[in-house]
Amino acid sequence: MKKQILRFTDVTYIYHTVRGETIAAQDLSFSVGEGEFVAIIGPSGCGKTTLLSLAAGLLRPSAGTVTRVGSCGYMLQKDHLFPWRTIEKNIALPLEIKRQNTSEHRERAKNLAVKYGLGDFLDSYPSQLSGGMRQRAALIRTLATEPDILLLDEPFSALDYQTRLNVTEDVAEIIRSEGKTALLITHDISEAISLADRILVLTKRPARVAFEHEMDFGEVKNPLKRRETGNFSSWFEILWKELNI
Amino acid sequence: MKKGQLQKNFSSEHVLFLKKRRRRTALVWALRIGVLLLVLAIWELVTALGWADPFFMSSPSRIARTIFGLYRDGVLFYHIGVTLWETLAGFAIAVGLGYGIALLLWWSDLLREVLEPYIVVLNALPKIALGPLIIVWCGTGSKAILFMTVLVGIIVAILHMLSAFIATDKNKLLLLRSMGASKWQILTKLVVPSSLPSFISMLKVAVGMAWIGSIMGEYIVSRAGLGYLIVYGGQVFKLDLVMSATVILCILAAGMYFLVALLEKLLVKNTEN
Repeated sequence: MKKQILRFTDVTYIYHTVRGETIAAQDLSFSVGEGEFVAIIGPSGCGKTTLLSLAAGLLRPSAGTVTRVGSCGYMLQKDHLFPWRTIEKNIALPLEIKRQNTSEHRERAKNLAVKYGLGDFLDSYPSQLSGGMRQRAALIRTLATEPDILLLDEPFSALDYQTRLNVTEDVAEIIRSEGKTALLITHDISEAISLADRILVLTKRPARVAFEHEMDFGEVKNPLKRRETGNFSSWFEILWKELNI
Repeated sequence: MKKGQLQKNFSSEHVLFLKKRRRRTALVWALRIGVLLLVLAIWELVTALGWADPFFMSSPSRIARTIFGLYRDGVLFYHIGVTLWETLAGFAIAVGLGYGIALLLWWSDLLREVLEPYIVVLNALPKIALGPLIIVWCGTGSKAILFMTVLVGIIVAILHMLSAFIATDKNKLLLLRSMGASKWQILTKLVVPSSLPSFISMLKVAVGMAWIGSIMGEYIVSRAGLGYLIVYGGQVFKLDLVMSATVILCILAAGMYFLVALLEKLLVKNTEN
């Protein structure tokens, strides 16, 4: 059995507002193993972002436990690059925050940026980059501190369709070749199928794991190639039905 | 894929477009100056022909003579200096202190909630109502005027910056917190730099407030300054003096606003998203 990087055990989370309380998740259990790419899909408003905040340790569960080995890197829907910083400075941001801003770490982050095609843009400001390049820069920023798990909160949903396919391709390639563990949360079924090793389907609020599937694409890891296979459409049909139960 | 790179060899259509733009700008400036000259000319003419009494209306030539007279008596720059000093010092204190207080209120939610009603009341209160109190507390010197100037500017500065700090992008905050950022890091890496455009717009408002404060202060207590000249001129019916001081005030206020606008150009380069 693989080493588990992230584990949710019977997690319940309750939101409190003045008007009342909402149970966002109840008795939610799952785990993510090292090097695995897990996607979570669920009906809209099922508390997907809450789940990532729990995984990142930004929220504490009302009941149950969340255990995580090592550090995490969070990637959001938009790139949220700071417009007043150059790309190089943006990528160095988590290093500054974690007080790892040594020349060695900076050099490593820079090399990563160069390796994935951002070399010419290190001195540019985010406004000078296209949407796809910006999201790529955001990924390099997330990877700069070498997190043990990547938490991806619908990281492609703000992009237009063509850019989206390209960036998904890029990100999948980078995550695979860096051997990273990743937890992706999305409402996009085809995105989940094209990226993940394993897919969890959540119920409506309160969120629980309703179904779990290992993807059977064998060695086909490339998102676009996966979209061309026959399994793809049958998985889509299965997951579509499960989401609408 | 770099955006915003303009080609250097323009098409003839583009050259024409640029030419039109330049002509337009020149036209606007010519008209602006024309309007000013026209008003001055009509003013001068109407008073010279006796259609309006220059004793009440003054006139451009009389204003020029009055200003030159103040200069000859060696008091022109003294009065300008007094008002300018009060305004600039009051502006600096109001902006600095206001920024600091806004930071404290951002830092502590409890403090903000507790103090909110007091700040709202202080904001609504016409500061001139405190005039007699200020005279008793600070005397009738420039200390009182400075106090008034700070009082007028500081509340606006606090409210303006506080709302900017609070409006910091929630997702960027989430991002920083997910990196494990401390509150101090969130402040220095995100809240302060992202509120820079608001800081500049606050400066623009505060410049206006500082002039209101210093002139209002001089109306109440002073023995020198442009506000004093205006009040004194009004009391002894020297409308030339009133007009002259007002004209100088216009020029100074415009100059200070221009300086802030220049600062904006220097500072705000890469804040657009």
